[in-house]
Amino acid sequence: MSVAAPEIQETPRSPDPAPREKPVSILRKRWRKFRTLKRGWYSFLLLTGAFLLSFLNPLLINDKALVVHYQGETYFPALSSTTYQGRDFGQRTIGEARYRQLKEDFAKAGEGNWVILPPYPYHPNESLLTDPGLEGPPPHPPSAAHWMGTDDRARDVFARLVYGFRISMMFGLGVVGVSYLIGMSVGAVLGYFGGRIDILGQRLVEIWSGIPFLYTVIIISSIVRPSPRVLVLVLALFSWVGISYYMRGEFYREKSKDYVAAAIAQGDSHASIIFRHILPNSLTPVISFAPFAMVGAITALVSLDFLGFGVAPPTPSWGELVKQGHNNIYEWHLVFFPLGALFCTLLMVVFIGEAVREAFDPKTHSRLR
Amino acid sequence: MTAYFIRRLLLLVPTFLGITFVVFTITRFVPGGPIEQMIVQTQMAASEAGGGVGSGLETSVEIPAEVLAALERQYHFDKPFYEAYALWLGDLVTLDLGKSFKFNQPVLDIIVARFPVSIYFGLIGFLLAYSICVPLGIYKAIKHGSAFDFASSALVFMGYSVPGWALGAVLLVLLGGGSFWDVFPLGGFRSEGWEQMSLMGKIADQVHHTVLPVVAYSIGSFATLTVLMKNSLMENLGQDYVRTAFAKGLSERRVILVHALRNSLIPICTGLGHAIGLVMAGSYLVELVFNIDGIGYLGYTSIVERDYAVVMGILVINTVLVLVGNILSDVLYVLVDPRIRFS
Repeated sequence: MSVAAPEIQETPRSPDPAPREKPVSILRKRWRKFRTLKRGWYSFLLLTGAFLLSFLNPLLINDKALVVHYQGETYFPALSSTTYQGRDFGQRTIGEARYRQLKEDFAKAGEGNWVILPPYPYHPNESLLTDPGLEGPPPHPPSAAHWMGTDDRARDVFARLVYGFRISMMFGLGVVGVSYLIGMSVGAVLGYFGGRIDILGQRLVEIWSGIPFLYTVIIISSIVRPSPRVLVLVLALFSWVGISYYMRGEFYREKSKDYVAAAIAQGDSHASIIFRHILPNSLTPVISFAPFAMVGAITALVSLDFLGFGVAPPTPSWGELVKQGHNNIYEWHLVFFPLGALFCTLLMVVFIGEAVREAFDPKTHSRLR
Repeated sequence: MTAYFIRRLLLLVPTFLGITFVVFTITRFVPGGPIEQMIVQTQMAASEAGGGVGSGLETSVEIPAEVLAALERQYHFDKPFYEAYALWLGDLVTLDLGKSFKFNQPVLDIIVARFPVSIYFGLIGFLLAYSICVPLGIYKAIKHGSAFDFASSALVFMGYSVPGWALGAVLLVLLGGGSFWDVFPLGGFRSEGWEQMSLMGKIADQVHHTVLPVVAYSIGSFATLTVLMKNSLMENLGQDYVRTAFAKGLSERRVILVHALRNSLIPICTGLGHAIGLVMAGSYLVELVFNIDGIGYLGYTSIVERDYAVVMGILVINTVLVLVGNILSDVLYVLVDPRIRFS
C-alpha cells in the first residue's frame, strides 16, 4: 500500500548531466526548453493561474457580501473580520446577516441601500436547506443557480469543489515538500557514507516501507481527528521512500567522480562536499519526479477522504463528495464533478511532469529510418 | 552470483522480523482492540437482556475477572508485547496464523478462501496489461513523433491521471443503471444463485461482473508499462548494433522485431518477478467500490474492525511475497541479461 505514484518517464535519463557549452546557465536553458513544450507549458500556466486565483476564493465564492451600503454607510463583510448581525442591516433575523436575502429586500424597498454579492454567492459549508430556489430534499441536481447541484447536506457542490481545489493543491505541495526533505536527507546520507550505514539504513528503510500506510492512518484517526497539518505529515512520512532511493543512487554515482575526489583532497568538510558539490549535481531525477509525487499525494488525499479517514468535516473535500455519490448512484453529479476536477488537475500535473522531465533530460533519439 | 542471492535471502529475515514487530507492537497500543470490543459487546448484550425485563438503567455490567483473564490469555494480552510477539512468531513458524476474532475461523482459511477472487482479477488484469501495452509500446516507438504517437500518449497520460477506483465509481454511475445506462451490474463477484446456472449462464454472468472491475484494477499499470516499453525500444533503436543490422541490408521489420526488440524486452521481463504477488492482488479501494469480497476488502475491514490476527496474517503473506518478488526480479534480470552482474 505505498503512497507515491509510480513514475512514468517519457525519455530515459542520460548518464551524465548535459555538458555546458555556452555561458547560459543550465537552469535557464532548461527553463527555455520547458517553455517550448506546449502541452506542459500551458498546463503549467493554467494550473498556476488557477492556484493563485484560488487564494481569492473568499471574494469570488462566498455567502458574505463584498460591499453593503446601508443608511449612508458602507460595509465590507467579506473582507472584514467582524461578523455583522442581521439586525445591523435592519434584517429581522437572529444571527449573521443573510446577504442574498438582504439584496432582494434592499432592491424591493428602494431606499438607496444596496448590496454587491460575490459572483457566486454561496459558501461551501453553508446549508441551503432554506434556500427558496431549491425544492425537495437534498441532494439537488445542477441548476442555473447551483451549477453543480448540492450535496446531501444541501451544500453547494461547485463552491465545495473550488475550495477543495485549493486544499488539494496545498496538501499536495505540502506532502511533496516534507517528503522531499526527509527522502533527500536519508538518501544523501546513505549514498554518501555507504558501507555499514548504508546496509543498516537500507534495512530500516525497507522495514519502514513495509508498514501498511492505511493501517497507520486509520489508527491515528481513531485516536485524534487529524488536522490537515497532521495529515500532511503522516502522508509525507509514508511517501519519502521512493525519493530516498533516487537520491541514494545519485549520491553513489556522483561520489566516485573526480570532482568529489578533488574536493576531498582539498580538505573540504563532509557538509561542504554534500551540499556544495554533490547535491547540485544530483537534483535532476528528484526534480523531474516531483510532479508525479504530487499526483500520488493528491490521489492519496482523495482516497482517504473517500474512505472517511481524511480531513475533518466540514472541510470541503473531493473524496467526501464522491463517497456520497457512490452511496447513491442516482446522484451522478456528486461523482462526476469532483472526479472530473480531480482528473483535470492530475492531468495537468502529469503534463507538467512530462515536460519537466524532457527539459531536464534532453535526449534526442537517433533513428536510422 | 549465487552468494549474492543467498545473502539477499538472508537479509530478508531481519527485514521481515522488523516489519512484523513494528506492526505487532502498534496493534498492542491502539484503543478499540479485541478485549475492549468484547467488553462492549458483552455489556450491550447484557443491557439488552436487562432491557427485556424493564430495567434499562443497568448500564455497567461487570465482566467476571476470570472471563477477562481468559480473553487476555487467548490474545496474549496478559504478557508484555515482546513476549506476545515471540509467542506469535512461534505460532507462525508452525504456519499457525491464529484465529480471527470476527469470523471465528483460522486466519489462514479466511485468506486462502479469497485467493480465487484475487487470482482471477489479478491474472486477467496482468494478461490484459501486458498484451495491450507491449504491442502498443512497440508501435509507438516505431511511429515516434507521429500523430498516432501523440494521441495515444495523451490517452495513456489520461489513464495515468485517474485513480482506478475513481474510474470505477464513474463507470458504475454511467453504466450501473443509476442515472444513465443499465449495462453492467452494480458490483459483487458473481450473481446470487450462480451455482444453479447453466454453464453458458455461469460464464456470461462472470464476464458481466468482470468487465468494470478489471478496467478499474488495471488502468493504473497501463501508462507505466506502455511508456517503459516504448522508451526501452527507442533506446535500443539508437544503438550501434541496430545500425550494423541495417547496414547488413536486413529488412526494417527484421531489425526491429528480432534484433532490437529482444534487448528492449529486458526491463519488461524483470517486472514479471512480482507476478507471484498476484495471489494477493487486490486494491481495497476498487473492491470497496465494486463490493467485491477479495483480499483488499478483507484487509481493509479487518483494520477498521481491529481484527488483528487477520491484519497480521495478510501482512505476513504480503511482506513475504513482496520481498521474495524483489529478489526474483533481480534473478530474472540476471537470467535474461548476462551483462548484469550483482555483487
